[in-house]
Amino acid sequence: MLDSLKDIIRKSSIHACLVSTGGCNGCDIEVVALLSPRYDLEQYGIYFHNNPREADVILIAGAVTEQWREKLQRIYAKAPEPKVVVAIGNCPLSGDVFNQEGSSVYAPVSDFIPVDAEVSGCPPRPSEILAAILAVGPDAIAAKGRLAKGDQKAEASEEAEMNQKAEASQKEGEEKV
Amino acid sequence: MSSVIWYLYEFARKSWAEKFANARTDQEIMETPSRFRDFPQVRKEYCIACGACTAACPAPMAIKLVRTSDSAHEEGITYPIINTRGCIRCGFCAEVCPTDPKTLLCGENHLIREKFTILPVDKMFVIDDYLCIRCKKCIKTCSEIAGAISEVDKKPVIDQSKCIGCGECIKNCPVKGAIKGIFIENVEEQKAIINMVVDALEARIEADQDKIMELEPEEIYKIDFPTQELVDEARKIIPNDELIRDSIEKVTDRLKMRIVTWDDEKCTNCRLCVGECPSGAITYDEEKGVQRNPDKCLRCSICYQTCPFGVAGFYVARFLLTETALEDGVIKITVKPSQLPIGVD
Repeated sequence: MLDSLKDIIRKSSIHACLVSTGGCNGCDIEVVALLSPRYDLEQYGIYFHNNPREADVILIAGAVTEQWREKLQRIYAKAPEPKVVVAIGNCPLSGDVFNQEGSSVYAPVSDFIPVDAEVSGCPPRPSEILAAILAVGPDAIAAKGRLAKGDQKAEASEEAEMNQKAEASQKEGEEKV
Repeated sequence: MSSVIWYLYEFARKSWAEKFANARTDQEIMETPSRFRDFPQVRKEYCIACGACTAACPAPMAIKLVRTSDSAHEEGITYPIINTRGCIRCGFCAEVCPTDPKTLLCGENHLIREKFTILPVDKMFVIDDYLCIRCKKCIKTCSEIAGAISEVDKKPVIDQSKCIGCGECIKNCPVKGAIKGIFIENVEEQKAIINMVVDALEARIEADQDKIMELEPEEIYKIDFPTQELVDEARKIIPNDELIRDSIEKVTDRLKMRIVTWDDEKCTNCRLCVGECPSGAITYDEEKGVQRNPDKCLRCSICYQTCPFGVAGFYVARFLLTETALEDGVIKITVKPSQLPIGVD
């Protein structure tokens, strides 16, 4: 009973899936910080599912390693349309410190799958990650027709705006939504 | 009981109900704290294009030096640009930036001043506090050149950021080794030369093992070892005579070689040493008796102290390089029986 109630409520949430494609794990830990009571991701209507088949937003953290090249595309294919990809940290953007001469990383991620939002930093602050998810997430679920209330999107983007204020100048240029 | 009442009281409070109804993260938590070290800021006008920031950067794509094109009346300026997609916000670039004021600002790292010179010299000069006799001759010499040596706590200290690596202090120092010029480049080559010299000295001593085993306690065995072959060999590794001499001197000044000899004839197969040997270099075989494998030996001297029959001998060799030209130099080797007590405690 409780599960079905949760399902109804979570219908209007942004479902996120974290894919760590071979980094130092620092960005994953920042995402875990988002789940903690201090940042409390779920108050913004974001639900961590870690299931690509139900994901609206795929979070990529890591500089694509040899083994991840094909798997990443398979995971991306599994996500239902319209899907949104957020690259977290510098690894998916440039390979960061792993992209040395002779190393086996295949960054950037945009070579394999389309990226909708980028959060630079090594690692980025949890609030920066949150702002990026909220900037692209609501559009994705709106396109799926899953918005329960009309004002939900407005509310969500208001939150995003609030969080973005701190790093507005820096962020705006990076998001090529 | 009272704790339960307090617990229930907490739920009855208005502030709790308000927080419960409107659970939100404080705006303060979301704001970036002032201590957060963000991407470096570049102040182009101070840049001297030394490249220290690009050399210090651990991320391959983060920092790049660019140069604006020359205009009719002015030369273009060079300055670093930060790629935020690669930068890991470590602040090393701001730390090493040698300009004053710093070209790069990053967190509080630009407040750090580097402790070493960025001049392209292959030697770093340091004063050995243990050998220094505080004559202050180096301070006097340097004050006329770079002013890098000053007195701190009554000891002369070299300021690495001012040192220009001229080596005048070493020439004026009356104590050998009190000021050292350490080669900070070609570390692998130095290692190769040192290994080669140590191996050659060891082989030379082993060749005379029979004579060494007959030494009386307190008696000293002397060998003269010409350096000609060593120098020829070292020049193949790196043709830098100064560095070769420095490396050979490092060996002869510091090395105290331990030598373990083994006299099979005295062995009675008591096997006391087999269990004592920490590296398993000594083994026992029904047919061959007690055997020692010199390749596994740590030269710890435990077998020498354990054996009641004097099978194992333990000697210490020291070295001295004569002060002559590199080619016809001679390393004087002295081998002396160890004074360690014998017998199991």
